Amino acid sequence: MNGLFQANIADRGILLDPRTKLFALLTIIVFVLGGMGTLAPEWLNVLISITPLVFLCSAKQWGKALGFGAVYAAADLFLIYGVNSVNGAGKYLLIMLCTLIVRILPGMIMGAYLFASTTVSEFIAAMHRMHMPVQLTIPMSVMFRFFPTVLEEFFSINSAMKMRDIRFGGKNADKMIEYRIVPLLICSARIGSELSAAALTRGLSTGTRRTNICRIGFRMPDLIVFAIMLCPYLLLILKKAGAVSW
Amino acid sequence: MVKIENLSFCYPNSEEASLHGIDLEIRPGECVLLCGESGCGKTTVTRLLNGLIPHYYEGTLEGRAEVCGADIRETPPEQLSAKVGSVFQNPRSQFFCVDTTGELAFGCENMELPEDEIRARIAKTVREMQIEALLDRNIFNLSGGEKQKIACAGISAMQPELLVLDEPTSNLDADAIGMLAEILKLWKQSGKTVVIAEHRLGWLSETADRIILLQNGEITAEYGNAEFFSKTDAELNSLGLRGCRAETDWLHGDAGFYPCDPAAPASAEAYRFCDFRFAYQKHRPVLQLDGLEIPKHAVVAVVGHNGAGKTTFSRCLCGLQKHFKGSIRCGDAVYGSKQLRALCYMVMQDVNHQLFTDSVLEEVMLGMHAPDEAAALDILARMDLTAFRDRHPMSLSGGQKQRTAVCSACLSDREILIFDEPTSGLDFRRMQETAALIRELRKDKTIFIVTHDMELIAKCCTHILRLERMPEA
Amino acid sequence: MKPQSNKLTGKDLINVGIYSAIYFVIVFLIAMLGMVPVLYPMLVVFCPIVGGIPFMLFLTKVRKPGMIFIMSIIMGVMMLVTGMGIYPLIVSVFSGLISELVFRKGNYRSAGMAVLTNGTFSLWVWACFLLLFLNRDSFMASRAESIGQDYVTALDKLTPNWLCPVLLAVCFICGVLGGLLGKKMLHKHFEKAGIA
Repeated sequence: MNGLFQANIADRGILLDPRTKLFALLTIIVFVLGGMGTLAPEWLNVLISITPLVFLCSAKQWGKALGFGAVYAAADLFLIYGVNSVNGAGKYLLIMLCTLIVRILPGMIMGAYLFASTTVSEFIAAMHRMHMPVQLTIPMSVMFRFFPTVLEEFFSINSAMKMRDIRFGGKNADKMIEYRIVPLLICSARIGSELSAAALTRGLSTGTRRTNICRIGFRMPDLIVFAIMLCPYLLLILKKAGAVSW
Repeated sequence: MVKIENLSFCYPNSEEASLHGIDLEIRPGECVLLCGESGCGKTTVTRLLNGLIPHYYEGTLEGRAEVCGADIRETPPEQLSAKVGSVFQNPRSQFFCVDTTGELAFGCENMELPEDEIRARIAKTVREMQIEALLDRNIFNLSGGEKQKIACAGISAMQPELLVLDEPTSNLDADAIGMLAEILKLWKQSGKTVVIAEHRLGWLSETADRIILLQNGEITAEYGNAEFFSKTDAELNSLGLRGCRAETDWLHGDAGFYPCDPAAPASAEAYRFCDFRFAYQKHRPVLQLDGLEIPKHAVVAVVGHNGAGKTTFSRCLCGLQKHFKGSIRCGDAVYGSKQLRALCYMVMQDVNHQLFTDSVLEEVMLGMHAPDEAAALDILARMDLTAFRDRHPMSLSGGQKQRTAVCSACLSDREILIFDEPTSGLDFRRMQETAALIRELRKDKTIFIVTHDMELIAKCCTHILRLERMPEA
Repeated sequence: MKPQSNKLTGKDLINVGIYSAIYFVIVFLIAMLGMVPVLYPMLVVFCPIVGGIPFMLFLTKVRKPGMIFIMSIIMGVMMLVTGMGIYPLIVSVFSGLISELVFRKGNYRSAGMAVLTNGTFSLWVWACFLLLFLNRDSFMASRAESIGQDYVTALDKLTPNWLCPVLLAVCFICGVLGGLLGKKMLHKHFEKAGIA
């Protein structure tokens, strides 16, 4: 959860425009998670599935990269070579699990990277450039600003519960949710109302067309990523036109 | 600049008006200090000036108020924002962006200024306030004082005519208050009009031109700078105000543990800190208190600059800090990290985090191992809370919440209580109440108070524990 | 006071953002339970129920059309960018609209309608499971071509098609239960604490 747009600005690898990352994510969702092997050739699916790996490496997140790479490779290799070496009841469950990993994990990792490498300002600037209405950009920027606050409150309440020795089990088990969520809501709602008063006195309103000073734009790395991510769409069109097949 | 005539205001759901019959005129370039007890209406006045009343906090408004030539009834805060800048009490809740640079730009962006203009204004503000080091940082990683500085800078970049500050120092330590005083001077030099509602007075002695005292929603007195700041602390206290003399400043004394009240009787028994050290990263010790002995029934003020390890200290003491291996010995008893949780209890700065149930009585009985209603009622009576036993804890006043938390600590037989900034934002009377509570508790508990309130220390502490940032090993 | 206009103000939009954050964090923390594969389908039970508490508090701030719809879209977008696919976003558009209509039917006041609104609003949770059903054969199609018919049958057994509407119903019902829980919490805590 710490990764939600709390980008460590100094060290986040290839500098990509948020829109590029969004496009990469969408492509992964459409081809790897959505339409599946039928939409693009399998080798291309694998290629776009492991692009997040490249991003992670460029940001020197070796641990995450290794974990993702290992799990993905294990699942994929099992599906290709290992299926017949297992037997018994667990076989189909294992196949299902591996298929889910191969399909879902790349999108999740890409999403996580998008959050971890983008600042809120950049994200809002990107939404601004994509002509999203303020009715969507204001709530979303408040939400991202507020995530860490809610978590801070959550951990403070957690500490308080430990001190009071309120734990799972025992006589208070049924009240765990209430004890956790109610103070969280009350504290967060109070901070929220102060935040909204402060924002109004600094001129936030729906009537204006806000300026945005955050500089985003497409550079060379963006173009490369775009080029790769456009391939499956192109192939799909060519296939529909009957020019290629696989 | 500001003209308020015969103005009254009443919040919804409240029987009594917060302000009645206020007449106030503020001339351009003036620096006006509003003071008075909590609930006297000074915050309400600041909310009038930035238009939050009546547009955000709705209620019944009578009379006239004009700010920078605009009738506040007709002008919502977002329209006033280009002329009136506001800084609020809580540094955590008043920023809108996650990164500092975005935050500095936020107000200007709303004014629809061109991008180059905004960058120029930010650069100018950053230079004036010398906050280069704070640029491009995650605001969540800044200290309270730094956050407040960013808030001031963001307002400054909007170049308003009038600045309204509502208790800007209540969550700050002495260093941060000093920085804020500098910013205030800067604003005054550049001819801005400034209105401040504040409990702490000392830091304003050079800047405030006019001091207005409010009591029960009315203006009861008005002073010039010399007249007001020549008053003795006793005179100020009798008006319900905090003293403003420079008290003994323990923050700049020696590091270590020593008594500050020679008259305090020393107990023979003591808690001895063993292996009491902690580091988040290797070679970067934060805490090193091996061999420290705290006599029982002492009231220890824990002071230190920002980053000296006060928070880590209290977390370790309560057994909340992961990977903490230290212990406390008392006689033959040894309390390791786990047992510390049963020995110590912390009253948090934001007490709201530790109130869980829907009635005061149920709340204080929550932590008891064997529920004993008679004992609970007894302690409620001792803490003046009997009348509130069926109220929802969250609907109580700050002091009552604090006492509720103390009750639950007493009922679960904790021997050591830790108060984290118990008097931040409290006026003189409430601070005295807290001091009295602590003196009362001292009879059967040992108490640590993490605080930067020198007046509180003078009133109830017997020892000082001054922490300092540790050198890198 | 000026007559209430139906246009959303800055305050309304900030409220949407704040409650979206609280709602999402709470649901996300619960979704962590789903990391245990056996509990994964149980999310359509837990998320709507527990989410009911923040959502019912949110509804006390809603007096104009649009706020619920925006929050619904935000949930869809969040699911999209966390890699849960496009279906939650599509469903959230419709369930958001329906929720708007339901709550409006209660004049933005009625507690009963608010409870129902939580039921319809929660449907985005169900939509996260849609990818197990829509295009299932191609989704689950394995790289190993030799697996054959057994696998397809096993798959059908694990996630039979009738399960999809059942999950929808369960999700809605749990949403209503969550609404009732939220209503209870409103009376027990939030109204007394003065924030509802």
